[in-house]
Amino acid sequence: MEKVLTAHFANERYRRMDTYRQYGGYDALKKAIAMTPEAIIDEVKKANLRGRGGAGFPAGVKWGFLPKDLSRPRVLVVNADEGEPGTFKDRLIMSRGPHLLVEGIAIACYALMTHKAYIYIRGEFVREAKILDEAVAEAYAAGFLGKDLLGSGFDLDVTVHRGAGAYICGEETSTINSLEGKRGWPRLKPPFPASVGAFGLPTIVNNVETIADIPWIVTHGGDTFAALGVEKNGGTRLIGVSGAVNRPGVYELSAAANLKDVIYNVAGGLRDGKKLKAVIPGGSSTPVLRANEIDVTFDIESMAKIGTMSGTSGIIVIPEGTCMVRALSVLMNFYAHESCGQCTPCREGTGWLKKLVGRIEAGEGRPGDVELILDLCDNMMGRTICALADAAVMPAQSFIWKFREEFDRHIGEKKCPYGNRF
Amino acid sequence: MSVAFSETGRAEFERLLTRYPDRKAAILPALYLAQKEFGYVSDEAIVYIAGLVGTSPAEIEGVATFYTMYNRRPVGKYHVQICRNISCSLLGAEHLIEHVSKKLGVRPGETTPDGKFTLAKVECLGSCGTAPVMQVNDEYHENLTVESIDRILDQLP
Amino acid sequence: MPTLTINGMTVDVPPGTTILEAAKDVGVEIPHYCYHPKLSIAGNCRMCLVEVEKYPKLQTACSTVVSDGMVVRADTEKVRKAVTGVLELMLIHHPIDCPICDQAGECGLQNYYMKFGLHKSRYALEDKVHKKKVQDIGGQIVLDAERCILCSRCVRFLTEVTGTRELDFFSRGDHSEIAIFPGRPLDNNYTGNLADICPVGALTSKDFRFKCRVWFLKAFDSICTGCSKGCNVDAHYKGDILYRLKPRWNDAVNQAWMCDVGRLTYKAMNEARLLTPFVCEEGARKVAAWGSLLPEVAFRLKAAADRGGPDRVAVIASPQSSNEELYLLRRLATELLGTKNLAFTHRVAGDGFSDDFLIQADKNPNTRGARLLGIPDGAAFDALVARIASGGIDALLVFGNVLGSLSEEETAALLANVPFVAQVGTNEGPVSKAATAVLPSASVSERGGTFTNHAGRVQRFRFGFPPRGKAMNPVEILVSMGNRLGAGWTFAGEAAVFNAVAGTEAPFAGMSYDSIGMFGQEIKG
Repeated sequence: MEKVLTAHFANERYRRMDTYRQYGGYDALKKAIAMTPEAIIDEVKKANLRGRGGAGFPAGVKWGFLPKDLSRPRVLVVNADEGEPGTFKDRLIMSRGPHLLVEGIAIACYALMTHKAYIYIRGEFVREAKILDEAVAEAYAAGFLGKDLLGSGFDLDVTVHRGAGAYICGEETSTINSLEGKRGWPRLKPPFPASVGAFGLPTIVNNVETIADIPWIVTHGGDTFAALGVEKNGGTRLIGVSGAVNRPGVYELSAAANLKDVIYNVAGGLRDGKKLKAVIPGGSSTPVLRANEIDVTFDIESMAKIGTMSGTSGIIVIPEGTCMVRALSVLMNFYAHESCGQCTPCREGTGWLKKLVGRIEAGEGRPGDVELILDLCDNMMGRTICALADAAVMPAQSFIWKFREEFDRHIGEKKCPYGNRF
Repeated sequence: MSVAFSETGRAEFERLLTRYPDRKAAILPALYLAQKEFGYVSDEAIVYIAGLVGTSPAEIEGVATFYTMYNRRPVGKYHVQICRNISCSLLGAEHLIEHVSKKLGVRPGETTPDGKFTLAKVECLGSCGTAPVMQVNDEYHENLTVESIDRILDQLP
Repeated sequence: MPTLTINGMTVDVPPGTTILEAAKDVGVEIPHYCYHPKLSIAGNCRMCLVEVEKYPKLQTACSTVVSDGMVVRADTEKVRKAVTGVLELMLIHHPIDCPICDQAGECGLQNYYMKFGLHKSRYALEDKVHKKKVQDIGGQIVLDAERCILCSRCVRFLTEVTGTRELDFFSRGDHSEIAIFPGRPLDNNYTGNLADICPVGALTSKDFRFKCRVWFLKAFDSICTGCSKGCNVDAHYKGDILYRLKPRWNDAVNQAWMCDVGRLTYKAMNEARLLTPFVCEEGARKVAAWGSLLPEVAFRLKAAADRGGPDRVAVIASPQSSNEELYLLRRLATELLGTKNLAFTHRVAGDGFSDDFLIQADKNPNTRGARLLGIPDGAAFDALVARIASGGIDALLVFGNVLGSLSEEETAALLANVPFVAQVGTNEGPVSKAATAVLPSASVSERGGTFTNHAGRVQRFRFGFPPRGKAMNPVEILVSMGNRLGAGWTFAGEAAVFNAVAGTEAPFAGMSYDSIGMFGQEIKG
């Protein structure tokens, strides 16, 4: 199968400019500079490139939201705040193929007539930030960034900006606020970043993988990219598999991959001879699937049809013998820890969910607690400034809906049947 | 008692200012600079950065305390941050945390009396494919086992 | 003009109006905490969720701009459940402080709980997050972080209005807490407004702490007398004691704010008041009756003018007096006593601090009024003082509690040159200690009238409660005294006097209490 991104990731030197160029790196940029911005955007639209950060919003459509008039300078923010549990693909791109990202940024900015780009990278990725710094420096030295790109007259400045430990900063308006030096609070929308974004300027925020796909799209054409996937979800995706599998890791597969196939064949099936119990398909915020629900195409539309999401393509494999209440408790701790605290339902609700689920796991759940959790979820879902509350609610609801008897047992028996252990 | 960046630090701060259209965008990088130069983000560092950027100490404190990676109190020589999220937990992170806690004689959140280690439980570090994972200061350590964790910690000078 | 249909009622609204603002205009109350008309929109409390046709999710009314043809329902079961849900979440950590919390009776949580809550708590007491209580954070404010609902009004006020940002949110999630940076307390002149805008008892007034339950207080409209800005205030009292002043909204003067010094001016109306008429004989005070003292004062003034000529009698006016009082006093001095020795000064001892917001350097409410009514100051006042000092005055009528910036000793020394000094004043001070006869005056809360602020806006202050003790309305004092001097005045009260002012004084031409209304009226020219 065609590898858009990872073809040369096994080569440790691929992250250096010289090796990257040996494999045709920056040829796409040269080609793009000779195209019109409209033509580039057109290819991206034809590519059916859905945002790879979890929301799946079509990149070409998002790009189209920028205002037509150029009187206010634009900003591109690359969202490298990869924080969704189960997701680790952007780290791979940045450490093995940083120039894919840098070249993608250059092409995107040229197409969007944007002269400033910031790579907002999560603070914990210290090594990856250094690698990016080096790649950006190499690009400046080679004339692919900076003033008068390749003699085109186009100027572009790229800055690597480190976050400092906050999952919420992966939400695009929170990314922007954090870039501006503020607490990572999401903003009310509207206005959307394309009208009022970073520093009040029209801004596009795109995921690392989304931007990294751009050079290939320019080289091979949007239609070719689209054909690698399915009808509404073009190209390949970097699918991460983690948890109790034999071969955890990142796999570049078509958007038409089958979820069961990915787990059992690509990732080598369950380790230690265990059977499958459950799968969280697209990062921890997506509704959980039972073992008998995974024979499905892993594209955005198909996953939505069965009541979950492909999200960040971060598949978490849960083996038999796992206490689902305990697993949910881990997640509820996560969302409570990461809630920015700005709005009431999320701030108070995530904390309450954590306490309720924690108590049930500790054998101190009370009759009615499960109903209370579900009622609380109803009061949180869709009521908040951003989707973090929804992200906490979806695991809570789906774990209860699909594994209700485990919760009831904890409450009825006043203890964890699995011995409070994973 | 007030603090100030070294000459290099100050130069780096000035360089940062040129990258953004707004002075305040330098706050996050400046806090990292302060943490590097002063060991941790102290009250004095907060006041200093507020002055550099032109805002109140309260605003800087608000930013510094929002993000987990700015230490408002000193941490040990080695900040041992073990992921406790779902993929790592499925592969034994809880057990590893217990083990390290016993080994170092501190609970998560605490520092050893000799100031060498601070143990912390952290959320997803973004390397789930190589779980269990921990971060010691700036470095990731992946595919952890009890043995490998012992080896890593024992070898730290 | 976009058309909005809300709860079945249709209304045209100016472009840019939000659903919340439009709803207010048609009498639909949409519950909210974080929204404040004078601050930026935050949209974080989530109380104002409403159903908007064509939108799948509930929308916050405070941040949604009305588009033409928008249909909104704020009265459905879905909305009610959402509001109750948000309220429940807001209350789970809220401490059960009502019995000791000053906000009780004017508390946003109490009010909306009675309307939209009335639920039993489902949250375990032992799970409540505890935060720092009872913190003196400087200025006039006590902070109780545990009561805070994190609406961010205070942070927005300190960022957008004072620009000082001493408060901010620290930490995140449900451990987020409003606090000052250690050692950096509130440091601006408008801290009192924080207690006004805080919907709950997180930020409360130090001065008002534990003094009175708010449901015992009554209110009346007044004007702050702290400087010539004339901030509009609500004065709160019980019986005949004032407990606090709060800003009254007037976009033309003080928007929704007042300064800290102004807030405490009510104390002077409670403390060290002159409440009994008396004369001072051989250094001792002897209580007198109005019925005899007032004619006596009039007689002594007239007699001095008759004996030595009008030049031997003088009147010092006060820029703390109302337009009505100053008008009567001018006429008394110039027409009835026939003297040119009439002046006032706006100088006071202490600071002349001013800023580019509300605080004026002139610490008197009616300097402008005095000048417009033809009472000279400046050099005229200095000349009058010199005349007094040289023994050229036999009888002096003084309005006010101080003589400009003169100290107690200087005042005593100056007035020792005048055989007869009559004072109309409200409080003990340098003048009352040196006067021969003291006629106690009603305070600003015990009478009505108008002041003219620094920008020429004539504003009404209203009668609050009857004068304490034996104090008398200065308009009554002046009418009575004037009639003793043959004025033949028939003014029944302040309104009648103001009509006379509007009739003859050009800057006030055509004005009436009606035209002044609630927000004041600017003078002509």
